[in-house]
Amino acid sequence: SGTGGRKRKSRWADDEPKPVIQLPDFMKDFTGGIEFDPEIQALNSRLLEISRKLQSGMLLDDGPEGARSPSPEPIYDNMGVRINTREYRAREKLNRERQEIISQIIKKNPAFKPPADYRPPKLHK
Amino acid sequence: IALQRFMLQPGAPATKVLCLTEVVTPDELRDDEDYEDIVEDMRTECGKFGTLTNVVIPRPNPNGEPTPGLGKVFLEYVDVESATKARQGLNGRKFGGNQVVAVFYSENKFSEGDYDG
Repeated sequence: SGTGGRKRKSRWADDEPKPVIQLPDFMKDFTGGIEFDPEIQALNSRLLEISRKLQSGMLLDDGPEGARSPSPEPIYDNMGVRINTREYRAREKLNRERQEIISQIIKKNPAFKPPADYRPPKLHK
Repeated sequence: IALQRFMLQPGAPATKVLCLTEVVTPDELRDDEDYEDIVEDMRTECGKFGTLTNVVIPRPNPNGEPTPGLGKVFLEYVDVESATKARQGLNGRKFGGNQVVAVFYSENKFSEGDYDG
């Protein structure tokens, strides 16, 4: 059952306006409403996701064998150990995206306090 | 700023899995047709916030044994962003007259089938 044109009203109530919590005026000044900007929220959640990935220590990989783009020439350190492993490159890629997102958040919200390991991009003249 | 710092901390509570509580009663879940309806309502409405990868609604055991997570609805989204949107959109809304409470749920517990948290 469940299909067959049976008309049925969803149990969900219509999207009634939620009881809006009225912030005291001084709080409004404090937040500036900027943290509720959907763009910043999206950036924040992507940032969170990347941070979680990097911190989880789980194996970072690009995808299944065959679906990957060709590997670059190997680079070895002076002990003969390969530096640019796939894991290393995946981590670097995430790190670059992370820095990029933080830059974007700062651009939108100068009050944003970046994490300690954030390095602002060098300004080229 | 406090919120942003909170979001950057490791182990921040936002996850891909959302748990709705105070939603359904064991009686509604016992009836097959009602159960199907509830699952459908959840898929339709909660799918508006992002791609759902899994919907779990524990049902009461016919033999009367307690079911972990009974009365809750678990929604797994494809990403944290969708789950976050859903949490904002669903928390406080009414489902069958009950006011829904939406909270993030541990992805690990969910993937292990542990609905008792």
